Amino acid sequence: MSKFKAYKKRLKEAARDPKISVALKRAIESYRKNVEEALKRFPHTLKLAEEVRAIKEQSIPRMEELVGQACEAIQKNKGKAFLARTPAEALEIIDGIVGTGKLIVKGKSLTGEEIDLREHLEGRGNEVYETDLGEYIIQLLGIKPMHLTAPSIHVPKEDVAHLLSRVTGKKVPPDIAIEVATVRGILRDKFIRADIGMSGANVVAADTGTLFQIENEGNIRLSTSAPPVYIALVGMEKVVPTIEDAFKVAEVTWRFAGYTVPSYVNLVSGPSKTGDIEKVITYGAHGPKEMYVIFLDAGRSRLAQDTVFREALFCLRCGGCFYECPLFAVTAGHFGDKYFGGIGAIWTAFVTGDLADAAPLTYSCLSCGRCKVRCPVEIDAPQMCLELRKRIAEGS
Amino acid sequence: MPIRPGREERFVPEGLLLFRDNILTKGNIFGASSKAGWAKGLQIPQHGEVLFFAGCGYQFLGEAEATLSVVRALDKRGLAWERTLGLTSFLNKRGINVGEFYGRLAHRFRPHSAPLRSAVEVLKGMDIDFGYLAEEEPCCAAPLYYAGFQEEFAAQSAKTQALLKEKGITRIIGMVPSCTYALRELFPRFLTGWQVEVSHFVEVVWEAIKKGKKFRLPHEVTVTYHDPCVLSRYLGLTEEPRQILRSIEGVTFAEVERNKEEWSTCCGGGGGFEVIFPEISHIMAANRVRELLETSASIIVTSCPGCLIQLREGVKKLKARGIKVMDMAQLVRTAMSEG
Repeated sequence: MSKFKAYKKRLKEAARDPKISVALKRAIESYRKNVEEALKRFPHTLKLAEEVRAIKEQSIPRMEELVGQACEAIQKNKGKAFLARTPAEALEIIDGIVGTGKLIVKGKSLTGEEIDLREHLEGRGNEVYETDLGEYIIQLLGIKPMHLTAPSIHVPKEDVAHLLSRVTGKKVPPDIAIEVATVRGILRDKFIRADIGMSGANVVAADTGTLFQIENEGNIRLSTSAPPVYIALVGMEKVVPTIEDAFKVAEVTWRFAGYTVPSYVNLVSGPSKTGDIEKVITYGAHGPKEMYVIFLDAGRSRLAQDTVFREALFCLRCGGCFYECPLFAVTAGHFGDKYFGGIGAIWTAFVTGDLADAAPLTYSCLSCGRCKVRCPVEIDAPQMCLELRKRIAEGS
Repeated sequence: MPIRPGREERFVPEGLLLFRDNILTKGNIFGASSKAGWAKGLQIPQHGEVLFFAGCGYQFLGEAEATLSVVRALDKRGLAWERTLGLTSFLNKRGINVGEFYGRLAHRFRPHSAPLRSAVEVLKGMDIDFGYLAEEEPCCAAPLYYAGFQEEFAAQSAKTQALLKEKGITRIIGMVPSCTYALRELFPRFLTGWQVEVSHFVEVVWEAIKKGKKFRLPHEVTVTYHDPCVLSRYLGLTEEPRQILRSIEGVTFAEVERNKEEWSTCCGGGGGFEVIFPEISHIMAANRVRELLETSASIIVTSCPGCLIQLREGVKKLKARGIKVMDMAQLVRTAMSEG
């Protein structure tokens, strides 16, 4: 029960912290407004979301086969693809590529977070920069992210100014535009000098081996294209059969993430190449010469076989459900482990932990059911939480 | 019922284990030895084809309110309130009834379960014949289901099925949304041959209004409605309560922005959350009350004992003035022409 007690204490402290509830209140209001307007402007999204649910229903039971296809396609594109069964295996593969003493620029990746990738690489003597602004703030603060798409949702501009003043040794005022420009200045040089770029992916097409990354800042563009070596770490559940399916998944993901139209959608299928001189294909033109994709299992294939909980793998990680969870509204990512909220309870039980780790989360769900209403693919997280409680209570 | 050894009970929160033990040993979530005190003097027959199902939440409304407020006070001070639950369970096992102690405490403040008495009078006023099983009323056992003890839930529901069959009951009018949901949706999933028709109080009242029953309040009043999650999202009953409110003469209905099965906000007391995280649940109650206050209504109506307690606590926490939280049954009772 000690894990539960420690969690309860953390959760209570979070609920008492006005910074969290004030920030979340603003975020929730703006999210709801954005999505409402986006759905009005692009009314086909709801129909598309139904199609995406069907794509996921069809893809998840075939996950193993689809990952195989994706790996083959990536190899054909002259990239290298791997399937890592455990976090340790994934880290070993990455270590083999990276080595030590490298400068690494990283896009925000939940799968990276899942296996503590940044900490691991730093521990092996590499200099790692998170390049997503929110994630960079989180890295500097040495804390854990509090939201999927907005990791530093609970950090006000005054705190950011203080932090950046410390980093630059110059006084940075609590002005958001100046803060953003300061970080641009710090990271610009890192992108150019980096030995290795890293990112995750929002969805992967098995037929073409194409990785999709949705973003607004442009940091993923730079991380995946400026350095000579590019490494992607992707959860197995992200693979769908065709590039057409992947476009559908991507559009629904960004719309429910609250980006009406994202500034960038990156499609990466292989290393950079040119045939401009004598039609001889040469790798490493302006982009990376080498591309590596590591698909991570870490419990996902077991989850895909479980008919009660399989649905958890449909999650697009848009983060929409969190804005509707009344507990998340007062505690943010403290209601979670590596993955947050009710859906996070299932991921914790199968992927990042076990039933003991998942128990505090699954018993935190109010079963109010509003997350399911928001979810574009109608994941019934509250019902799965109840089924998880059954497994916990019955000790199976 | 014997509890299988080797269970991973250490991961189940203590508050939910206490509910389970009380249901299994005393047939109600509070472990009290009497549940029908509220019905004194109402002369409801204890038989009939139609059963009025009062439910633990309303029968022990005062007890629940008192207990929760004690637990919240302890939790806020960082004291191990779980131990008081453990103590409750320990004393209960030895025949000392803590539930009744809380009950007596509660009755000092709220002598009767006003929602239930109101509901009975409303149903009688609509010429509906029904019975109430009083001390024999079984527990719907839904808290077992929510805590994860589905096997025990199935066993309890089978007992309930047998009892209701023996009593010749064909229809139930439920008061507590989660009891109603258990009887209507979970029982058919866990039992074979469950054929009892289950309605919720708001459905019955709306039917009567459609047939011409009139309600009128003595004064004009602005009312808003809080959707209980189970009633709205699980049972889909969102129009009935609104139609009732709109049809009562003297009521100006003010809709809250976050409403109905899509977007209504939980009061913070669901799935046993309030006995696992009492203080946080209180914060969430205040958040919901804040949304409801934006309507400028002077009465918040709801139709669930859990929501009722939570919203009242939320009002207290915000020190909000000029706002009253009422059960739908109480409002309708006040609007009956007989006075």
